[in-house]
Amino acid sequence: MKKSLIVLLVLLLAFSATLFAQGSAEADKGYDIYVYNSKGENAAQFAAMCAAYEAETGVRVKNFSIGSGQDHMETLRSEMNSRNKPSIFSIQGIKELAEWSQGGFALDLNTVTTGDFGKMATALPQGLRLTSDGKTSYGIPYNVEGYGFIVDRDMLAEIFNPIPVDAVLAEIKAASYEEWAALVKAIDAWIASPKAMEVKLNGNTHKLAARKGPLSSKLNGVFAVMGAEKWTYGDHFINVALNAVFANDIEANQADTAKIQSLKGAFLAYAEALDLKTSYLAGARGKATRGQDFVSSANFGYDQAVQIFADSKAVFFKQGNWAFGNIEGVNKAQSARLEFVPVKMPYQSQDVKRTDGMTVAKLNSSIPVFVPNYYAVNAMVPKAEQQKAFDFLYWMNNSATGKKYIVEEFAFIPYNADPNTTTVPNSLGNSIIDYIASGNTLTAPYQGAPASWSGDVVGLRVMESYLTKRNWTKADYEAIANYAIEQWIALK
Amino acid sequence: MNFYKKWFWPLVMPSLLLFTMVILYPFIMGLVNSFLAWRGTYYFDPDTGTRATSMFKSFVGFANYKEAFQDKRFISALVYTVKYTFIAVIFVNIAALALALMVTTITKRSGLYRTVFFLPNMLGGLALGFIWQFIFQIIFTDILFSPDALYLPFLRYMTQNSNKALFALAMLSTWQYAGYMMIIYVAGLNTISADYYEAASIDGATYWYSFRKITIPMLMPSFTIVFFMTLANSFKLLDQNVALTDGEFGTRLLAMQILRTVKDTSPPNYGKAQAQAVIFFILVAVITLTQVAITKKKELEM
Repeated sequence: MKKSLIVLLVLLLAFSATLFAQGSAEADKGYDIYVYNSKGENAAQFAAMCAAYEAETGVRVKNFSIGSGQDHMETLRSEMNSRNKPSIFSIQGIKELAEWSQGGFALDLNTVTTGDFGKMATALPQGLRLTSDGKTSYGIPYNVEGYGFIVDRDMLAEIFNPIPVDAVLAEIKAASYEEWAALVKAIDAWIASPKAMEVKLNGNTHKLAARKGPLSSKLNGVFAVMGAEKWTYGDHFINVALNAVFANDIEANQADTAKIQSLKGAFLAYAEALDLKTSYLAGARGKATRGQDFVSSANFGYDQAVQIFADSKAVFFKQGNWAFGNIEGVNKAQSARLEFVPVKMPYQSQDVKRTDGMTVAKLNSSIPVFVPNYYAVNAMVPKAEQQKAFDFLYWMNNSATGKKYIVEEFAFIPYNADPNTTTVPNSLGNSIIDYIASGNTLTAPYQGAPASWSGDVVGLRVMESYLTKRNWTKADYEAIANYAIEQWIALK
Repeated sequence: MNFYKKWFWPLVMPSLLLFTMVILYPFIMGLVNSFLAWRGTYYFDPDTGTRATSMFKSFVGFANYKEAFQDKRFISALVYTVKYTFIAVIFVNIAALALALMVTTITKRSGLYRTVFFLPNMLGGLALGFIWQFIFQIIFTDILFSPDALYLPFLRYMTQNSNKALFALAMLSTWQYAGYMMIIYVAGLNTISADYYEAASIDGATYWYSFRKITIPMLMPSFTIVFFMTLANSFKLLDQNVALTDGEFGTRLLAMQILRTVKDTSPPNYGKAQAQAVIFFILVAVITLTQVAITKKKELEM
């Protein structure tokens, strides 16, 4: 027994010794820079881009992309704990930034002032920087993304035949919430029995078509909604309402209790808009309603909702330009005709607490455009490696080959694109660029809310207690709004 | 025998090394980390509010354990796990005993039945969870027990209700473990000498009487093993829970709660999660050590 104990202790010591032994720092690691990419969808294309960089410059780039849909944080943390840390890694917003900046892994790009990269870092627009206090800058944006109600132009053309589609779209974008709600109910009635009824949009009267066309005869509901995915109504839908009080995620991050309580009006508007959206649902086999089937992932998961919209069974589908690839995979012809319509909510003018000139009309005619992910440089790697990382990031965003990969292979909208001259090869991306050019954009304050508040707390409560209920009352709106506010205060 | 005596240490060394590296060392480090403000990739110094310059500066004593016990979600996951364990242990035991009695009574093809009942145990937890998610969501809800067919509202939407999900998970566990526990009961049943039953039937005992007075007392060792194994397995359940409901609708078991603790905080509070894991270990260790003590006692008596 005593002998076994001694052996065990020796083993432990030997093992710990190997763990803490520092290898030679100058030993060749087999690569020059190591990039950790947390966007799994473009893994193959990202690897191809790194190979192109190596062919051009001779710098060996080791790259790793997480599997699509997997949690990237755990793998990134184990890479950070190893001897070969990533030189460039991903940070998806200020909640993830907290860990990397406190641990000293994220390099403040404001300290890099020389060279091409220094110029690029200084030129980053203030609104696109990754910072929790406005004074630092921790990453280069991957791209910009946006979301809203996706609509098929040809479908609208049939519904409003013979009025030209561009005119109708412009009116819908500018319409108020009351006109929008009336339009939704009118389309719902029109689907049941088509006749030339009148709707008011942006103050002007328009007529719906007298009969259905080839696409619109497939319709069975107005909205395609993923009831089983908490993040659509928990994160993105509620984010639109947050724009009434917060100008960006930094303000949301620093909000005090009084500010959070002033969100009450915006949250009531959110609940009412969600009620409208989920009362006129399209389903795979016919009109759908709220209930237990609606929150089951077998019936209304991500893929099912994409299928419903791509099969032209619904008019509107709230998603972002990241869903373009999914829709293209199911209905390529339709994916070339898509455009965004803003998410509207019934705000009162006193619900808008921002002091920078935001109005209810602007809120209801803009779509959130934000940076979902950033490339950060690791402050813990040797300075020579950091310089190589700077060169790589500069090449990716400014060279012809790099830009070609970003726009064509990854299907991203580059953060540094000029909205007046840039077009990208996908319809949703171009729609977002139009909104940027006209200045009708909102931001993503939900990224500054407490870590699990939006999707896992509010979204979960909405899914479990409200999306299974057939009828909502004003009391339900109050309950949802109060719950969202108390949980934010509790989780701060 | 001399060969094994001579080569004892070289033969044992690989397993011992593996055990130290994969189990012992992480366990000790985990225990140490539960007393520190560990953040996964660095240690936090609560005095300066920044990254700690050395591990020892981030010592927080029992703060992580206090936080763990005050965490409402941890306590509710613990209570839910206890409720689930209670139901699962009963279901699995009854099913396993019934199967064992069946398999030892029939004479033809008993080997085939034993294999078939054991097969579900070979599947991994995640695969099992997704298979049963399909069964509960589509087959039970839409096909078998829908209002058009045999309408049994209790068996519909089982993954969307916190109490029904307990039974859903119990059904899953029974399907997975009954075969394994059946093997243990079969071994136990085979040790009971047929003389006892013959003597009983000569004296005019009915089947249920001899079952109560002969089978059950002599099965006590097997019962103890099965009971404690099911207890420990139910406490540790993770894969099936994640795959079946992902903790939605209030169905988060203890292991999953520990896993999700780091997602709920930013920067991620690994110290608190580690404290929860140590509490979890103590609970399961108490169960297992009790089992070992009781079976040791029974062995001496036999």
